[in-house]
Amino acid sequence: MIPLSHAHERWILRILIAVFVFFLLAPVVWMISTSFKPPEEIFRTSPSLIPDAPTWRNYLRAFTETDILKYLGNGLIVSSLNAGLTTVLAALAAYGFAKFRFRGRKGLMLLMISAQMFPYAVLLISIYPMFQWSGLFDTRTGLVLAYLVFALPASIYILFSYMVNLPDELIEAARMDGAGEGLILRELILPLVIPGLITVFLYSFMWSWNDLLYSLTLITSEDKRTIGPGLLLTFLGEMEQDWGAAMAGSVIVSLPVVLVFSLLQRFFIQGLTAGAVK
Amino acid sequence: MAHVSIENLGKSYGATPVFANLDLDIEHGEFIALLGPSGCGKSTLLRCIAGLEQITAGDIRYDDSSIVELPPSDRGAAMVFQSYALYPHKTVRDNMGFALKIAKQPPEQIAERVEAAARILNITQLLPKRPRELSGGQRQRVAIGRAIVRDPKVFLFDEPLSNLDAELRAKMRVELSRLHRKIDATMIYVTHDQIEAMTMADRIVILHEGKIRQSGTPQEVFDRPADIFVARFIGAPAMNLFPLSRYSELGGVVGGQAQSLGAETLGIRPDELVVGGKATPSSPLVARFEVIESLGRQKLLHGETSLGDEITVSTHDGVAPETGVDLELSFEPGKVHLFDKNGNRCPDGASA
Repeated sequence: MIPLSHAHERWILRILIAVFVFFLLAPVVWMISTSFKPPEEIFRTSPSLIPDAPTWRNYLRAFTETDILKYLGNGLIVSSLNAGLTTVLAALAAYGFAKFRFRGRKGLMLLMISAQMFPYAVLLISIYPMFQWSGLFDTRTGLVLAYLVFALPASIYILFSYMVNLPDELIEAARMDGAGEGLILRELILPLVIPGLITVFLYSFMWSWNDLLYSLTLITSEDKRTIGPGLLLTFLGEMEQDWGAAMAGSVIVSLPVVLVFSLLQRFFIQGLTAGAVK
Repeated sequence: MAHVSIENLGKSYGATPVFANLDLDIEHGEFIALLGPSGCGKSTLLRCIAGLEQITAGDIRYDDSSIVELPPSDRGAAMVFQSYALYPHKTVRDNMGFALKIAKQPPEQIAERVEAAARILNITQLLPKRPRELSGGQRQRVAIGRAIVRDPKVFLFDEPLSNLDAELRAKMRVELSRLHRKIDATMIYVTHDQIEAMTMADRIVILHEGKIRQSGTPQEVFDRPADIFVARFIGAPAMNLFPLSRYSELGGVVGGQAQSLGAETLGIRPDELVVGGKATPSSPLVARFEVIESLGRQKLLHGETSLGDEITVSTHDGVAPETGVDLELSFEPGKVHLFDKNGNRCPDGASA
């Protein structure tokens, strides 16, 4: 912590925070505002924050004139699959890393974490031909696998830091009681790291829900399209831009995540800071 | 109940041996304490018996059948851990019944056995609670209950009382002794606390640097310590040791036997020393005390001998001697312990 002994130092901090919050929230506020504006108001040279003549028309159009529900469904399928798979795989791997001593454990862990260091877009260059060659191109399975590459390392690390803090004696007691490793993981470890599991699930869900680049590149058929590319390609063509409906669509697709996140944020924060303070 | 025999047991981590060629026989229903300072290998030995550590040589048998190839749960041993290791998200009832549930016992039978064990330990009212709602002593009881429920041949205790405060520890010692009598099981108890070992065990096995230094009843190891390590480790305050090469007058007090036995060190317990009057040139042992700790009637006198070695005397008459003056100390020749040049007890004991 920085000691803020003087009043003016505290003021500087407050201003910095205000600027930061402004940059974070302004686009969101603008999105909501725009989604209620009729077209003529959107393109006014001196825009207002509160719409003069608020309207639901953009929402109505987003629902009736576009395939947004289909994109939502696709997004939900891909994101849930990714989140579920990531959580299961990360739990298994983290248990291995945290509670078993094997040759190459540290090296493997390091390798896995360093995979995280590659820029997101760079990996796409190698994923693309791999998917084309293996038939995973333009499939939901392929997209889920591509997301796994990114969601998994961080997820393993989050769960690792949870599990490594569980006392070994607990596992030994279960072994003495006759529990096999599968049962120990299911009955003992997982119930004790539920906040970690929720964190990992949310993290990987948001990852894929918010993605544009991979989904846009790896999915070409319209009926498999997820929300990111769906919104982009529906409303923002080369010739015309329907900002009102685009913003309404954006609000609609943000809502589920905002809702889930606000319900579970307590666990999420706990999850990210676990092991930091003991 | 089982007869446990450990033969030629060896355990090493890579090239670092913890112990080698260890032999130990534990009788049916015996309460045995493995006592030693930290790092002596006592916990590792217990974990080898439990099956939580792989042994690298030798054999462990229960009633003549080897168990070293068996997984921990099939060895018929139950373990009570230092940290209790209760499953935090399960109720006391589920904690105690977990092993039976895994063994696919019918629910009625699980309930019956859990309740029977709870009655033995007086924890019936705790059954619906979770570990975090319990005090340290209650958690310890539940951990013991979890072991009892399995009806094991052998109970293994790994420093089970060291997380409790002094008062509770004393109470649990009595309870464990009572429990041992009640369920009449073989118990192996690891501790670094000599009081626990002395008060509860039928037999104490003293381990140091991976070797068994002595094995005997509490009285035996106190009265006839096998070597200097045991002599210093058992008994509080620790035994005073004097090299006879420098304290030749002491040899005179003990008589000719010290020399004939090849004794090089003379040991005497603090409460066998008697503080006399002012020292004279002919006094064989002279000390000057600086600190007096009063424990009520008992007083611990700490000081230095005339040759500058530390000495402790324990008196029970409630009288504190003068400090800072040279005083004469005396003792009965029969109460000393003699050790040879390797630190081992001289044959035929110390005393005449």
